[in-house]
Amino acid sequence: PEETVTSSFASFIHAARPEHLSQTVRQRSKRMILDSIGVGLVGSTTRVFDIALRYCRLYSSVAVSSVYGKPGVKLSPTLAAFTNGVATHSMDFDDTWHPATHPSGAILPALLAASQMLPPSTKPSGLDFLLAFNVGLEVQGRLMHFSTEAHDIPKRFHPPSVVGTLGSAAATAKLLSLSSAQCCHALGIAASLAGAPMANAATQAKPLHVGNATRLGLEAALLAARGMEANPLILDDIPGCSGFSAFYGIYQPKPLSAPGEHHEFLLEKQDIAFKRFPAHLGMHWVVDAALSVRNLFINYAGSFSPSLIRTIMLKIPVSKYINRPFPSSEHQARHSFQFNACAALLDGEVGLGSFSESSIHRQELRELLDKVVVEHPEDNVANFDKMYGEVALLLHSGDVLTGKCDTFYGHWRKPLSKESLLKKFRSNASHVLSEEKIEAIITLVDNLENLSDSSQL
Amino acid sequence: QTVTGNFAKVIHGLNANQLTDQVIQRSKRMILDTLGVGLLGTSTEVCHKVAQYSKIYGSDLSSTIWGHLDFRLPPLYAAFVNGVAVHSMDFDDTWHPATHPSGAVLPAVIALSDAFPQKKKVSGLDLLLAFNVGIEVQGRLLHFSREARNIPRRFHPPAVVGTMGSAAACAKLLALDQLECKNALAIAASYAGAPLANAATQIKPLHVGNAAKNGLEAACLALQGLQGNKQILDMESGMGAFYTDYNPQTLPTLQSYPWLLDQQDVAIKRFPAHLATHWVADAASSVRRKLVESSENLLPLDKIEKVILKVPEVKYVNRPSPASEHEARHSFQFVACSALLDGSMSVQSFTSENVHRPALRELLCKTQLEHPPDNTPSFNSLYCEVRVTLWDGSTISDRCTTFYGHWRKPLTKEDLQKKFQSNALSILPAEAVEGIIETVYNLEKVEDCSVLSTFLSGQSARALPEKLH
Repeated sequence: PEETVTSSFASFIHAARPEHLSQTVRQRSKRMILDSIGVGLVGSTTRVFDIALRYCRLYSSVAVSSVYGKPGVKLSPTLAAFTNGVATHSMDFDDTWHPATHPSGAILPALLAASQMLPPSTKPSGLDFLLAFNVGLEVQGRLMHFSTEAHDIPKRFHPPSVVGTLGSAAATAKLLSLSSAQCCHALGIAASLAGAPMANAATQAKPLHVGNATRLGLEAALLAARGMEANPLILDDIPGCSGFSAFYGIYQPKPLSAPGEHHEFLLEKQDIAFKRFPAHLGMHWVVDAALSVRNLFINYAGSFSPSLIRTIMLKIPVSKYINRPFPSSEHQARHSFQFNACAALLDGEVGLGSFSESSIHRQELRELLDKVVVEHPEDNVANFDKMYGEVALLLHSGDVLTGKCDTFYGHWRKPLSKESLLKKFRSNASHVLSEEKIEAIITLVDNLENLSDSSQL
Repeated sequence: QTVTGNFAKVIHGLNANQLTDQVIQRSKRMILDTLGVGLLGTSTEVCHKVAQYSKIYGSDLSSTIWGHLDFRLPPLYAAFVNGVAVHSMDFDDTWHPATHPSGAVLPAVIALSDAFPQKKKVSGLDLLLAFNVGIEVQGRLLHFSREARNIPRRFHPPAVVGTMGSAAACAKLLALDQLECKNALAIAASYAGAPLANAATQIKPLHVGNAAKNGLEAACLALQGLQGNKQILDMESGMGAFYTDYNPQTLPTLQSYPWLLDQQDVAIKRFPAHLATHWVADAASSVRRKLVESSENLLPLDKIEKVILKVPEVKYVNRPSPASEHEARHSFQFVACSALLDGSMSVQSFTSENVHRPALRELLCKTQLEHPPDNTPSFNSLYCEVRVTLWDGSTISDRCTTFYGHWRKPLTKEDLQKKFQSNALSILPAEAVEGIIETVYNLEKVEDCSVLSTFLSGQSARALPEKLH
């Protein structure tokens, strides 16, 4: 029988083995795992995390799975995955890929929860874990290549809630060693649990998208393991009756080649972007541009004197949900070109503290925001591979100072060095863990392939 | 004023005085039918699987699983499991514009009411009001898009509007304030949506189960203070994400509120299969009566050359040779042939033996579909014609434009009750069955609706009569 796209995915998930992971893929994915954990740990200090945790504790029966930053608290596996997923995305500090999604947050929590669920005799090794993680990434990436829409910053459905759910199902199916047919059904079930509209981005509910993606993908795999069946053609194009295509206007599915000689993991060719501060990825260009023009300004004027500035002009791509002249909450501030540019200009850096209530409402910042004007040059496309950020200071004196950034530090074209990544992790994790534990995690992840029991993580 | 804010205001502001008699009567019929269908559904394989799965969450045991005295589950999972039961056999109600309204709402509100602490009883009237708020919100949302008027092609409506309806109903029952109602809707939107391709598979019932569960979860998260986009219903990137044309409108004012259920009733199914097949069944039964003088006689299979079905074009109900019970429930051809062979359709028509019997398979081979251009895929206007051509050249045909059970020709009170009894008696003792009927019929006067849950779990009614009055 002719192979369908859906069955090619199921076969891939089922047949992938550790030896198929190249060096580059291993190294990159370990960096992602470390960053994701750190981001989740610092995320466990947020209000949205607090709400999610309180809610989940109503249901803590077969409580075997751990929660980031809360020693002694255990939840049922899917709720632990949910809570940790919320933590990971709570500050918009987690990784971003191209085509656009937040890949790690959608799979890591599910894998951690699932590994704790398995009985001691069948605990997955670090290598199994790393493989499952990569299967989850690969599936997400391949799915996004089914639609040209996915190449640009999203407008309708929030990608983690679409591809992330299926990625989580695939990763969990791999970790649980489901049969090829079960992997197929896990994908089908997950499709019925996918999809959240963009409008909730920049609100407190956004982190739920990642929390639910990881939780529901886990759930889909657990249901498939128990024999639940769904449409075996869910990824294929079925005219008149939408499967996964329901989430896209244009949809061209392609089969996945079997793991082995001809197959190359997408992570090999396309690295991830790690954020340096907790805000939407688009902000990072603008901040680097703002910092560069700030330096010019200080050289020009001796110090940063806002009164000399008449107008601040931002040249940015068109994207409604990150264009906010006067954000009023932390979630909005993380999704505002204007805010991030001004914060960078004012403070010389943007970090965790930039998004606190008091920081957002500062008088000096508001004054700067008043001077901002936004332009959308035609050549600035809303695409994380091609966009740029430009910040121009038009002074009262008539002089113009400009800073432009087309690749920020942390982008896949200019990846964070190992030191920078570790610095970010240590800084994040120190909010909730002791130094010992922090170093232990770093070592564990670095040697993941050699770990015999990944539930230690 | 935003549409979202307006919805929150209405959900928050509607009270029991505004329920009209017709709305009360129709919604009680829906409640009874849904309970029966759900009880029967607990015996299905899909329901067993989800119950087993949900038991991993079984600690704070506080809500009833319909048909089970042996275990309980937290409200969220009770709503999930019972919702799956309701849709497990495709036997639950259907509305216009198309969705399965009750299954997404009733399990959630019953589970929630079951979990309230003793001192805070929920009355039957509270339940009835919350139920109707949930139905109303679904109907209103369906009117935001012209796409919704036809049988769906992309997203399965219960997964879209059902989740929102459940959130609204639970928000009402939990007495959330206006802001919290708004957030409940916003959060629910992030859980909504499932692709249609999973219809006619075992997972379809989960669409309704998840709608009920996720709406409840959204309301609970809103109660905890979680916030979403306050314009979720207004934006194209909000609820608009699920439709290609989207025109949200504010609800009418609260004074003498015009409920949609008042203007548009639901269709109740007589057998467990996709609604479109009900037209086919009625037409086929009538053709059979013309072909066969007495009902004991068998259909003269060898005299039949071909069977032509004139139906609207609905891809996911076009299955010439269904292989499973889920597929058979979504097959024009299967239902036509079944009705021709047996004279009528029932729960038994879909058993494995009946799906695979040789006589049926033979007749299926002779069956074809035609899609007349005037036959639009809308539950309000479609028709089905069954035309049987014999080898001797003669043809017998019949057309059905409104099947018995459709909103234009609603089931009588007796027939509705018969359906319920037939379903419920296979799971519960007779006393509990009668107890449910009486409770639902007098729902507005019931002081503590947890009595309904007690009956649903199968407990004997002896100690309970005083709770009813």
